[in-house]
Amino acid sequence: MSKILKNIFFISCGVSILIGLFIPHEHVHFWWEKIPAFDAIFGFFGCILIVLGSKAIGHHGIQKDEDYYD
Amino acid sequence: MIDIVPPAFIFILGAILLPLLRERRLRQLFQLLIPVIAFIDLLYMPKGTYWVYNFLGYDLILGRVDKLSMCFGYVFVIVAFLGMTYALHVREAGQHTAAFLYIGSALGVTFAGDIFTLFVFWEIMAVSSVFLIWYQRDKGALDAGFRYIMVHIFGGCALLAGIIIHVSNTGSTEFGLIEYGGLASQLILLGFIINAAVPPFHAWLSDSYPEATVTGSVFLTAFTTKSAIYVLLRTFPGVEILVWLGAIMAVYGVAYAVLENDIRRLLAYHIISQVGYMVAGVGLGIEMSMNGSTAHAFCHILYKALLFMGAGAVIYVTGRRKLTDLQGRSLYKKMPITLSLYMIGGFSISAVPLFNGFISKTMIIAASAELHRPIIYLLLHLASIGTFLHTGLKLPYGIWFGRVPSGEKIEEEEIEAAEPPLNMLIAMAMAAFLCILTGVYPKILYNILPYTVHYHPYTVNHVVGMMQLLLLTAGAFWLYIDKLGGESKVSVDTDWFYRKPGVLLLWFVSNPMQDLRLGLQSFFTKMVANVASLSKNPILLPEITARYIHLKIINRLYQASGIDNDKLTELKELESRLAAVKEMRYDENVYRRPIGLGVLIAIIFLFIYGLIYFIRLR
Repeated sequence: MSKILKNIFFISCGVSILIGLFIPHEHVHFWWEKIPAFDAIFGFFGCILIVLGSKAIGHHGIQKDEDYYD
Repeated sequence: MIDIVPPAFIFILGAILLPLLRERRLRQLFQLLIPVIAFIDLLYMPKGTYWVYNFLGYDLILGRVDKLSMCFGYVFVIVAFLGMTYALHVREAGQHTAAFLYIGSALGVTFAGDIFTLFVFWEIMAVSSVFLIWYQRDKGALDAGFRYIMVHIFGGCALLAGIIIHVSNTGSTEFGLIEYGGLASQLILLGFIINAAVPPFHAWLSDSYPEATVTGSVFLTAFTTKSAIYVLLRTFPGVEILVWLGAIMAVYGVAYAVLENDIRRLLAYHIISQVGYMVAGVGLGIEMSMNGSTAHAFCHILYKALLFMGAGAVIYVTGRRKLTDLQGRSLYKKMPITLSLYMIGGFSISAVPLFNGFISKTMIIAASAELHRPIIYLLLHLASIGTFLHTGLKLPYGIWFGRVPSGEKIEEEEIEAAEPPLNMLIAMAMAAFLCILTGVYPKILYNILPYTVHYHPYTVNHVVGMMQLLLLTAGAFWLYIDKLGGESKVSVDTDWFYRKPGVLLLWFVSNPMQDLRLGLQSFFTKMVANVASLSKNPILLPEITARYIHLKIINRLYQASGIDNDKLTELKELESRLAAVKEMRYDENVYRRPIGLGVLIAIIFLFIYGLIYFIRLR
């Protein structure tokens, strides 16, 4: 089951990136829209940034024990 | 032809009548009937301004109907129906009454044409909604509800102050565009953005919504923040500060959601994040972004209600609200329908194509691109990633599939879990249907937006770009899947500023201030006692004073020269005489003069008067 899921995931990643390479961009507003597969790159690293960034902030002062306000 | 009435009154009347219905089935029917009647009422309401009542020289307008107010009116009534279906099994009439009042006042805000009417409904909204929190009845809910109402009263005061200054400056009570700049507009904006949960005034939302009742929190997600978006769209479109606040807010909510362990609090942080898009859309101020904000408010109400219903159903059947208590239980086997319906909400909020978030959120992001705002564009995009990461991946994984982190032992006891009651499932199914319907046929929604829509969501570029973004987010989630489990911690937010110093304030009041009060009180009590004892016989005052001074002087002198027995007895005697004089009561027979004092004074005055008269006459 999980193997099928994995395969579906990788195939759809590949397909969406491939299509993205071949379709023309209609309105380019920013320079980065010309980078191939920019959305994919942004999604991957953005996600890592959010996870690591928030966890770092959380572990350095934001997170307290559950009875902090009691 | 039936006469139309303000939709707010339908719900408020419903709130009054509802507790009178004792028969359970009848009441359930009534609960569903009221939103239906209100919806029909909306369909018959023509565009224009009506229901104008003159009060103390001001026009109170209950019906300002145009495309913008209708759009919010429709979705408010729809979610009222969904929420009532979800809450059908709740036997306490009070909860439904509070919900009806809350919905009614939100509709009152939506159709208000002047700022006084707006303010009145605004306050009813705050007061009625707090009961949806308090009905949970545990200590956490009571405290959170108290903080909730305090923040909203503060916001209401700011709004009222702003309104009063605004009206006295301009003389107009019209609820429309307000030029930003100056104290009046800033106070009004402050009142509005407190309700929109804009940081740093957002903590009331994530603090209180997770403490509300399971059914109450569904209503809470819909009305307060979205009616704030509506009034911002009316009054402050194009205000630059809102663009930045909105974009920061979108990322802020997402960042806090990473740290959250309480499932409804995680979703509450995503409300803040999603409302950030709408606030930014208001700030961008072009037709496309304003349409986007309206559409996103519409879609958000539907999918957020669905998400809270899903999370609420889990809490309802398991009694657990924390990821750390839920993971490792394979709940997906026991509640597959809830899981599927929740996932439709999760895909909608994440803007997966064919779900409704995709057709509204991308409109705001596209507007930021149209205006060439690179930082805003990237911040909003980043928030999209975080949204999918949490609501679409982490939360469902944690609730229904999650593994226990290696090294920790799972409790032996099995969680009792099953699908929730049928009415909850039906409500979720209807919400899910609407999410997909508006996602697949965006024209339904686009036709009721305030401006003509020139935006096409389903272009190859949009769809492929979004799929790349979401799929690779899922990829990164996979890498960090073990890091993302819940932690048994609470996150400090801006509510710290009134929760911790609040305790200090309480200490300050109950210790130093209390001591000061007691000191002052005893001082004045003594003073009063002295005056009282002296006024027993005021005529003796000179004598008492003389004796007192005499006693003190002699005492001093003797002390200086050394005391022997004679002197001591003399002092004792003086003291006892003083005490005896003090004890003497006023007795008019002792002091009786040949003529009464009053008569004497009268004669003296008469004499002086006569003298003056006589001299003048000369």
